[in-house]
Amino acid sequence: MVDILCFSRNNATTVEQMDKDTLVSSCRLQDTLMDLLVVIQVKTPDLEITDIQAKISRSSEAEVPDIQTTLKKVIGVRVGPGIKKIVKGLIGKSATERKLVFMIGECCNGIILSFTKQVLNTAPDDWEGEKNFFANMVKNSPRLYNSCAALSSVSPLMEGIEPP
Amino acid sequence: MLTFSRNKIVSIHRKDAHILRARGILEDDIYGMEVDVEITLPDLEIVWIDGKWTRMENRECPRAIPFLQEALGFRLAEEGFTQKVQKTVGRKSCRHFANILLECCEAVIEAAALTGAITAKPGEEKTQTGEIAEEKAQTAEVAVKKGVSRDRKETTAEPLRKVTSGGMVIDLHVHSAEASPCSSAPLVDLIAEAKRIGLDGLCLTDHNHVWRRETIDALQDKYGFLILRGNEITTDQGDMLVFGFEEDIKGIVPLDELRKKVLQVNGFIIAAHPFRGFLTFGIGQLGLTPEKAMARPLFQHVDGIEVLNSKVSEKEDLFSSQVALGLGLPGTGGSDAHEVEEIGIYATRFFDVITCEEDFLKALRQKNYEPTAFRRR
Repeated sequence: MVDILCFSRNNATTVEQMDKDTLVSSCRLQDTLMDLLVVIQVKTPDLEITDIQAKISRSSEAEVPDIQTTLKKVIGVRVGPGIKKIVKGLIGKSATERKLVFMIGECCNGIILSFTKQVLNTAPDDWEGEKNFFANMVKNSPRLYNSCAALSSVSPLMEGIEPP
Repeated sequence: MLTFSRNKIVSIHRKDAHILRARGILEDDIYGMEVDVEITLPDLEIVWIDGKWTRMENRECPRAIPFLQEALGFRLAEEGFTQKVQKTVGRKSCRHFANILLECCEAVIEAAALTGAITAKPGEEKTQTGEIAEEKAQTAEVAVKKGVSRDRKETTAEPLRKVTSGGMVIDLHVHSAEASPCSSAPLVDLIAEAKRIGLDGLCLTDHNHVWRRETIDALQDKYGFLILRGNEITTDQGDMLVFGFEEDIKGIVPLDELRKKVLQVNGFIIAAHPFRGFLTFGIGQLGLTPEKAMARPLFQHVDGIEVLNSKVSEKEDLFSSQVALGLGLPGTGGSDAHEVEEIGIYATRFFDVITCEEDFLKALRQKNYEPTAFRRR
């Protein structure tokens, strides 16, 4: 049997620093059924969403909801813990709206990871340095402890770290 | 210039008449990973999974691979599937593997519907504030009430503890298993533990849940312990602890609308953990200063700020204190307990006598209290 794909999806998220205080994060989702684009603008240091745009280029839904008004509800919301719950509660529940909620989440994730990247860029290359680096990260942010396999209680990276 | 990019590709093909095979690839500036998963039709059950790293953030990341097997047996159509993957694979393995796995699973559902292997896509997952949570909470209230009436004949109510000269220490932020799906702390155990460690009272602040006054009064009578009511409501500006407010709000509400409603009934709003930040970097890295934070519109709509919360870091709590001081808003303390042993880590010391809800609301407005660390972790 030929392994021809029955479904495929590409999901691309990017973050760009427009000026000192402005980040723009976009998520483009193209799959067999849909082609959607969401772009959010975020102001530092609060990471407040100051603008949001979306475009539905292709959709398998019979009726595509008018999303522009709905999307504006997220303006003023800050990127941070709990944002997915907030956005989910503010935007509707149709299939397209749920997809948009997911994509807003991807945009926010991109913003957070862009800052994470800056931190990780300072990690030392040697083993002792790496161990100290992650140990300090966990000491500064106790929620990281046991948050994944690499930072679990049995990981060598967490040797000597007291559980919070 | 881009500061970050992430690309994900998901491909689905039909392995045979009963199995869809999905391959997910995630490549971003930090991580490179692949996951392969086989899912049966029409049950949509994960029956095989494997993954590999191509680039990772530290040399212990490969520990995540064996824990992908936690997803075996999960069914895509079951309620709470996404949360289940996030809590198991996301925590035990890696949140980024959970991300690409969920992307694969969502694509599988679409593929299954497209090929006619399933006739309807699984419905929207119930949120914690949805109908099932409501039904569970109501059932919990009934169970608590029945337990209290059944036991009342058999026990002698203890008198409430007298106020000491050091004031009354009350944990203002507690979640019970009965009404908060994220809590594993049964209410009676919370009460017992609070008494054991010497707290003078606790305030139930379950997520989007209003406890009935008669239920709480009955518990207070039975256990001879001060139990107060609050509600942690999620707004567009974050979570708020709301007191003296009876409306049962489900879903997300704009903070300014909530404020108008709470003012009408002379209630009280405390911003809960307003500076709970990010796992891998601090708010300092963003350039956020107390002065800038004080300008946030949300602080115009609250009566107090939670400055001690055991779920945030000490730096985040300190930042909250600085903001509260700068704004002249009172600071409170609460454990945000979701497990019994967390109760009382932080609390609020009131210098007024509080024996009931009315006393409590009056005390909140009079601002004669301070946040305090109470229980050693």
